[in-house]
Amino acid sequence: MFRFIARRTLSALLILLVISAITFVLFYVAPRDPARAACGKVCTPQTLALVRHNLGIDDPLPVQYWHWLVGVFAGRDYQGLGHCSAPCLGYSFTNHEPVLGLITDRFPTTLSLSLGSTVVFVAFGVGTGMLAAVKQGRALDKIASSASLVGSSLQIYIVGVVAMYYLSDEWHILPRPQDSAGFTQDPAAWFKGLLLPWLVLALIFTANYTRMTRSQLVETLNEDYVRTARAKGLTRRTVFFRFAWRGAMGPIVTILGLDLGYLLGGAIITEETFGLHGIGALSIKAVRDNDLPLLLGVVLVAAAAIVVANIVVDAVYALIDPRIRLA
Amino acid sequence: MSTHTQVSTHTQAGAAFLSVRDLKVHFSTEDGVVRAVDGLSFELERGRTLGIVGESGSGKSVTNLAILGLHDRGRTALDGEVLLDGKELLTATERELERLRGNKMSMIFQDALASLSPYHTVGAQIGETYRKHTGASRREARARAVEMLRRVGIPQPDVRVDDYPHQFSGGMRQRAMIAMALVCDPELLIADEPTTALDVTVQAQIMDLLRDLQQEFGTAIIFITHDLGVISRIADDVLVMYGGRCVEKGGRAEVLRAPLHPYTLGLLGSMPSLDGPVDVPLSPIPGTPPSLLTPPQGCRFHPRCAFAEKVGGGLCGSNRPLLEPSEGHSERHAAACHLTPEQRREYFADYAAARVN
Amino acid sequence: MSLSRRNFVIATSVAAGGSMVLSACSSGGGGDTAGSGSSAGTTKYSAVTIGTKDDSTGPAPEVAGAKKGGTIHAIGPDDFSHLDPQRIYYSWNSTVANLYVRCLTGYKIAPGGSMKLVGDLATDTGTMSDGGKTWTFTLKDGLKWEDGSELTVDDVRHGIERGFASFTTEGATYVQTWLTGSTDFRSVYKGPYGGKHLDSIVTDTAKKTITFHLKTPRGDLNWALAMHSYGAVPVKHDTKEKYDKDPVSAGPYRIKQHSVDKSMTLVRNTHWDPKTDAIRTAYPDSFTFEFGPEGLQATDRLIADSGTDQYAVMAYSGVPAERIQKVISTPDLKSRTANGLLTGLYYYAINCKRVTDLRVRQALNYAWPLEQIRKIYGGPSAGDYATTILSPDIAGRVKYDAYGKLTKPQGDTAKAKALLKEAGKLGQKIVYTYPQGASDAYDKTKVVIANALKEAGFDPVVKPVESTSYYDQIQQIDNQFDVMWFGWSPDWPAAYTLIQPLFDGTTIANGANNVSQLNVKWVNSAIKKDAAITDTVKSEAAWAALDKEIMQKEAPIIPETYQRRFYLYGTKVGGAEFDPLFSAFILYKLYAKS
Repeated sequence: MFRFIARRTLSALLILLVISAITFVLFYVAPRDPARAACGKVCTPQTLALVRHNLGIDDPLPVQYWHWLVGVFAGRDYQGLGHCSAPCLGYSFTNHEPVLGLITDRFPTTLSLSLGSTVVFVAFGVGTGMLAAVKQGRALDKIASSASLVGSSLQIYIVGVVAMYYLSDEWHILPRPQDSAGFTQDPAAWFKGLLLPWLVLALIFTANYTRMTRSQLVETLNEDYVRTARAKGLTRRTVFFRFAWRGAMGPIVTILGLDLGYLLGGAIITEETFGLHGIGALSIKAVRDNDLPLLLGVVLVAAAAIVVANIVVDAVYALIDPRIRLA
Repeated sequence: MSTHTQVSTHTQAGAAFLSVRDLKVHFSTEDGVVRAVDGLSFELERGRTLGIVGESGSGKSVTNLAILGLHDRGRTALDGEVLLDGKELLTATERELERLRGNKMSMIFQDALASLSPYHTVGAQIGETYRKHTGASRREARARAVEMLRRVGIPQPDVRVDDYPHQFSGGMRQRAMIAMALVCDPELLIADEPTTALDVTVQAQIMDLLRDLQQEFGTAIIFITHDLGVISRIADDVLVMYGGRCVEKGGRAEVLRAPLHPYTLGLLGSMPSLDGPVDVPLSPIPGTPPSLLTPPQGCRFHPRCAFAEKVGGGLCGSNRPLLEPSEGHSERHAAACHLTPEQRREYFADYAAARVN
Repeated sequence: MSLSRRNFVIATSVAAGGSMVLSACSSGGGGDTAGSGSSAGTTKYSAVTIGTKDDSTGPAPEVAGAKKGGTIHAIGPDDFSHLDPQRIYYSWNSTVANLYVRCLTGYKIAPGGSMKLVGDLATDTGTMSDGGKTWTFTLKDGLKWEDGSELTVDDVRHGIERGFASFTTEGATYVQTWLTGSTDFRSVYKGPYGGKHLDSIVTDTAKKTITFHLKTPRGDLNWALAMHSYGAVPVKHDTKEKYDKDPVSAGPYRIKQHSVDKSMTLVRNTHWDPKTDAIRTAYPDSFTFEFGPEGLQATDRLIADSGTDQYAVMAYSGVPAERIQKVISTPDLKSRTANGLLTGLYYYAINCKRVTDLRVRQALNYAWPLEQIRKIYGGPSAGDYATTILSPDIAGRVKYDAYGKLTKPQGDTAKAKALLKEAGKLGQKIVYTYPQGASDAYDKTKVVIANALKEAGFDPVVKPVESTSYYDQIQQIDNQFDVMWFGWSPDWPAAYTLIQPLFDGTTIANGANNVSQLNVKWVNSAIKKDAAITDTVKSEAAWAALDKEIMQKEAPIIPETYQRRFYLYGTKVGGAEFDPLFSAFILYKLYAKS
């Protein structure tokens, strides 16, 4: 296990390094100039050069990347803004906020959004999937199966807007989504502000988990070892959870890990739809503003989320299935 | 449709340990009703082994799943009577069955790799059954698992008890499976092709093991196989199934030496004999097993039977032959066939000589 | 670049006309009636005049029915990009800067939108002498910073000197250029942090005067000084780069809390004395800004009008096209809107370097399907047809219609074709570009444009450019585009800030705003000549004439529309008026109803 974690962490760092380098290069390949945004309406070549210097983008690309790397591992000094201690992801080009600060400021929102909706969609999705699998072919199964089909074809930017309009604005059933000070500050406000996004996001994901849970369980319930377990005299309940569900869990955990990784990297459309300020909203801003340090920051967060999710999924899979060995 | 030709598997009819009477197992599917078992009767006493032979789809596995109550209840209609030590199983509640399964009656499945849970250690799987039925503690269950593994001949059982099935070899897995089935000293053991996937040496070891255990505990064994060679080594009595029905049954020697049914004869012909001449060509039965959705009228074997036209009046295609003893054979050796004893003697003669010892 | 880069993404749900024009200052002028008669909103353009000393004396006139107290909530999709006055150029930043930044001059806006340039920190709009080369302003008494310290002439000078610093690259550059006589003004003076002051500004602390000595005569310095880029900054509390995070207020409100990209709260600045301020009233106790909701969301919330949203206004992003019809056709909603024209002009720049034949450029003007384009934007409520370079709110603007766009807004393709034929250019390829991903509308207008051009005998090729790099690409002098979507808004309501940056051939460079790349001697010299006229009346007439002459003789652009913006406010908001300068609500006139 230790070797597994050590090896995977190392390779994760390498991946992140490569991704940051690629982002760097791609950023400069695009035919746009981040300096222009800070150059005023009448932008003379002299001013433009000054802005480039201020932003530190007048150096050759490898030098810039090196500076950035040094910042990450050892910290870096910025003229006028002072020292930025390691891990320093630099200052945003547009508003000169420390990128790390922006990310740590935004991450709780994304985390709350992701984990909260995950709890809801795993509970509902796996729950209905289990029921459907147990009641195979009966009305409940058919309802759950067709509902999940409808659910999976929904789009957040439509459902979200409709839900907000009716549930919040028109009928006042659910509070309007809102950023809150965070769970630790005001749990009630946190919960109220995120309830609608959780439900809407869960509505869309639930479908997938219902289907997956059902089909996995239908498969494992027909496995020989499940029959064996029943032949041993174990109760249906024990057989279902200890054997069939155990077998069905692997693929579900895999998808869950990837979904969670994706969500943690910033649920861009969801955050935009609900006006939440998470990593997703930050990503949009970074792209829109040609904000290289911010872009690198959010790309790294997204990549790290996926990479970490993968490691966790592999570890959890190995816990579930002893046939998988970690190395 | 009555087959009340009650033929005991034992000379002294009476208090059989397991008694199956006119068992019918029908599945409803989208295409219609599948008559997987259609009126099967047999009896089995303690300490004896009944070999059930048949091609796949003949209903042999279904019969045994029905005895344990492991059939899909939602889609299956059962009829008839299954008495285990006087207790009616078909009408028993799930709870009652759970108490019996793995305890008084247990089952060994064909593919041990698929039939053992990959997610739990061998020891846990054996111990689980023990704990369920005896209420033993975790530690006691483990000790019992080690003991069982030792008994079935697993080396270093105290170490291997914590292994997962995938860490075992094929033969060891089957032994572990047997250990699991025997952990509560069952009185009835159903072994569903327990040796099919194994090589011949291991096969022989497993069968020896079963025989030893039977001698030790007096277990009644139902041994399901499509391999008459295996039957010849282990069974006391033989029941041949075809198309969900019993076509022939009797003592091992009788059935194998002097089969009464053309199907049994065909099975013997398609089986390479260990002791027979090597140069005798194998002659598999032509044709395919019958559809159980729309089984043939009369004798279900008649479309494939080489002797059907020898029976006059198209009797094979219209009338179901009764399972009855044949003239010149023992009382408990019965077959369901329209052929007359004379015809049999005439047509079967060469077979009996050439085959089984 | 004339339109904010931000606006394109903001505009994703906003469709055409929803984009945000940036302009520091600019406004109504020439009391002329809008050409095409819009069905929704005002048709009169307001006049802007220079106010007297009396006009410059506080307190500001009361807003009828207003009461003190409460909180006004403003909802906008994005945080303000800068709070440091020297880094403020974009109009949406100015909407909030109005609350805490004060300049020597400012615009006093009367109900209905007519404006006067008045003294804000100064007692009047300044005294010009030396043929426009020397300007003197005197500070009012009782001016204080939010900490109670006195706002001095040195602070005013400091604000202007900060415009030379290396980090204030975002702000306006007019005054710096005039003071040093160089567009590369930072090579002359590096800002106040080296301990040196500008020679060309002289302050007298005792007399409270500040005198500007310009290298070139400018009759409009007092207009330029109204830009927030020239707002005062306290010498004692200047934190340089970090001032952008926490500027010190001289206005009626100070920033109490700011959570980047999330929210901002302004509360009363108790040291602000209304008697010193002829422009601002200050009724609410506080303002809160909520950043994030796009125009559509904000509109839906204001339509729903529940909870604190009853006290809310749309900060600077207007009602998007999807909701315009609903809003203006529902009386209850319509009564809760303020609307007005954006200060700028939307147009299509013709690349004169590539399209060299005047007749081809004129043919493009004739052929352009303004009606179809505006229909896609949302019809008359989206704005008025443009026929001149100067927008209607520019002082002295004279309306003309050189290419019959008001009589045939659908385009005169027959006339265009005839011109092309005459030029021997039938079938000429025209590469048209627009920012893609900015708004669905542009993806639709490209179709009607291509159709019209085909009908007129052109061979149109549409080559959209991804919106985030749009300006970078079209502002390259060797670009491969013939006609480019563009827009420009003036920095104050004078023709100079429109015509000079767009048509002065000497400014042509990569990244410059003369996207048409018009470089004609007579235009260059006329611009130079007109800019030197210090007499307001003569100057206005000269510019108006030049406007018409450029369009007739050079046709370097195809004017499109003066766009209209609608804003919604909650039922408990009073004093809602459209700001002709910054095209949003005038925040300091709002009040919370009980």
